[in-house]
Amino acid sequence: MAKARAIVKRLKAVKNIRKITRTMELIATARFKKAMDRASEAAAYTKKISELVADLSQANLEFHHPLLEKHESEQNAVLLILTSNRGLCGGYNSGVLKASLKRYQDLQAAGLNVHLEVSGKRGISFLKFQNIAASETYTHFEDRPTFEEVDQLASRFITDYIEGKIDRLDVAYTEFVSSSRQQTVVQSLLPIGALGSSAETSETAQKYDYEFLPSAQEILEEIVPTAFKARLFKCFLDAAVSEQIARMVAMKGATENANDMVGSLSAQYNRARQSQITSEILEIIGGAAALE
Amino acid sequence: MATSEASTTTAVGKITQIIGSTFDVEFPENQMPEIYNALVVKDTIKGIEINVTGEVQQHLGGGRVRCVALASTDGMIRGMNVTDTGAPVSVPVGKGTLGRVFNLLGEPVDGRGEVESDERWPIHRKPPLLENLSAKTELFETGIKVVDLLTPFVRGGKAGLFGGAGLGKTVILTELIARIASAHGGYSVFAGVGERTREGNDLWLEMQETKIGQTDRSVIEQTCMVFGQMNEPPGARLRVALSALTMAEWFRDTTGTDTLLFVDNIFRFSQAGSEVSALLGRMPSAVGYQPTLGTELGELQERITSTKNGAITSVQAVYVPADDPTDPAPATAFSHLDAFIYLERKISEKGIYPAIDPLASSSRILDPQYVGERHYKVAREVQQTLQRYRELQDIIAILGVDELSEEDKLIVHRARRIERFLSQPFLVAEVFTGKEGKITPLEDTIRSFEEICAGKWDHLPEAAFMYVGSVEEAEEQAKRMAEE
Repeated sequence: MAKARAIVKRLKAVKNIRKITRTMELIATARFKKAMDRASEAAAYTKKISELVADLSQANLEFHHPLLEKHESEQNAVLLILTSNRGLCGGYNSGVLKASLKRYQDLQAAGLNVHLEVSGKRGISFLKFQNIAASETYTHFEDRPTFEEVDQLASRFITDYIEGKIDRLDVAYTEFVSSSRQQTVVQSLLPIGALGSSAETSETAQKYDYEFLPSAQEILEEIVPTAFKARLFKCFLDAAVSEQIARMVAMKGATENANDMVGSLSAQYNRARQSQITSEILEIIGGAAALE
Repeated sequence: MATSEASTTTAVGKITQIIGSTFDVEFPENQMPEIYNALVVKDTIKGIEINVTGEVQQHLGGGRVRCVALASTDGMIRGMNVTDTGAPVSVPVGKGTLGRVFNLLGEPVDGRGEVESDERWPIHRKPPLLENLSAKTELFETGIKVVDLLTPFVRGGKAGLFGGAGLGKTVILTELIARIASAHGGYSVFAGVGERTREGNDLWLEMQETKIGQTDRSVIEQTCMVFGQMNEPPGARLRVALSALTMAEWFRDTTGTDTLLFVDNIFRFSQAGSEVSALLGRMPSAVGYQPTLGTELGELQERITSTKNGAITSVQAVYVPADDPTDPAPATAFSHLDAFIYLERKISEKGIYPAIDPLASSSRILDPQYVGERHYKVAREVQQTLQRYRELQDIIAILGVDELSEEDKLIVHRARRIERFLSQPFLVAEVFTGKEGKITPLEDTIRSFEEICAGKWDHLPEAAFMYVGSVEEAEEQAKRMAEE
């Protein structure tokens, strides 16, 4: 009986876990839809504005915006890591953290002074465990990051970069490619020149000849920081969508695993119960026969 | 006194009933044989020679006694003459038994002629008195990592190998014989109880080849073997352990040396008892075992003990029916043992041998008082790590490793390495695995596990820990693997 009871106990535990994972899966599905709408809306805007900046930075202009310029000597780097506040999302966090840890070590090996800025409780606790100090931590970016929140952050980075306090900004996050594909990336956002100069954009650059009104300088001063902010915002949005997808997939898998386990445990319990009854009957019959 | 002697030597009775492996004999009322006396049936029926020894178990009244046959009752008929030998079954003891193979009656079965021994001891004897028992507790090193670390054997104590079918009980027992007996100066006695005859034969040949330490003499010269295997009737399997034990007792009491007693398999002793129990008219008890299960095993186990005179260190294999350790037979055997090794099917399914369950196995002397603070701490840490890993296994199965906290991930990481490091290549399995058997000194074992627990070897791949001796060998294996 001891064995059967132990199985029942485990069965109950697994069923409870299944209830949780099933609920989490449904919640993640609902949130994923909203997050994806926001991300795809932002995607078009971000893409266009990045193209524009890329075009402009390649156009032969006399004026250059400081955000576009690479600092001569790189000393201070910032690595922004976007993780989630909550767990139960499979390999989402560990993927980002693994990639960022690698970049962190690479940058350090290159002799840079790296400041880590982490968003999400998961990332914070990971760094604490690894004994790496983070200079800034954020936990207020949930699954609906707002532009205002990101704007604050972005403005600080811009000022710091222009003032020369930081020479480089990398962001580690999970890029949302499509609803079936997300990939962990570490991108350099500052200096801006490092991004968006793909072959495709350079082709379009040749087609257009810009005419600047009132002046190239004014336009650049406006458009370059905006482009940077849009990029950063996009990172946050991507991370939010990817988190929901990762959670959805992980919870779906977990629910299925729990189902399998419930099945095998039920079978085990039935067998244990049956054999117990059989042996009891045998004992009674044997005892009765011996008394005759 | 004179009359009883006269009656016991000449008493002749007739068989009145034969049921399976028991038979009833009717004697004249004044010449009843005593309980446990050996009776001999010797006759030729239709040209077939019958020579069966029986042991008196019950007095039924009216001059009838019920006996358990110690050999097959095939061909026996009612009315045959039965002679009372006047004494229990006795076996030859002494140094003449060394190097020989016997059946339970003490008859040599190795085809090497008569045994040179002038002394015979009855197989039913009293356990040593309480005041004569030895109080020493000392660790007995085997060179098997998992055994030395988690279930250290006691010199002069009893160790049990519990396991279901096909988990390698006999292999571990053979390995222990190869390790202990070859390094051991004293005598060894092997009792084959109800196991495969082939295994007995293999062991006999193996012992002839294995040399004692650096000398030229083979292990068999210091060993005597007693077999009552699967093919024998239950009566034989019920008594063969006693025959072997009696021979071991002679070595203990007379020569005063450390004697080793190996029994494969003590469960068959209980099983044989249950086979004859119903025929003797006893009511079956839990799970159909004999109601006297505890008594029978107790009488045997209490004799396997160390006295101030000499020690018997015993290793016993115990079959666990249906992998259920709560079954009455293994559960009863459990309480008699100092060290308890439990073989687990899940571990053998992972390909880790010896498939010893590090959490279910234990030893009385795994205590800082006996093994020292460091050994105790390391052993407990290993067990804690593995215990935590086992608790996490359901979570990992459902949610995956990624959901664990960083601390738990590290525990899982180390536990998986420890789990594999508990495997070890065996001397007797060299021909099958192609890997050289490894004897790991206790000091190396403790240090290796200490370092793994401390995280010194976290960087090695899991596979590097499989089938090595000390942890340095794991490092070498990792290097070899990287090169390939």
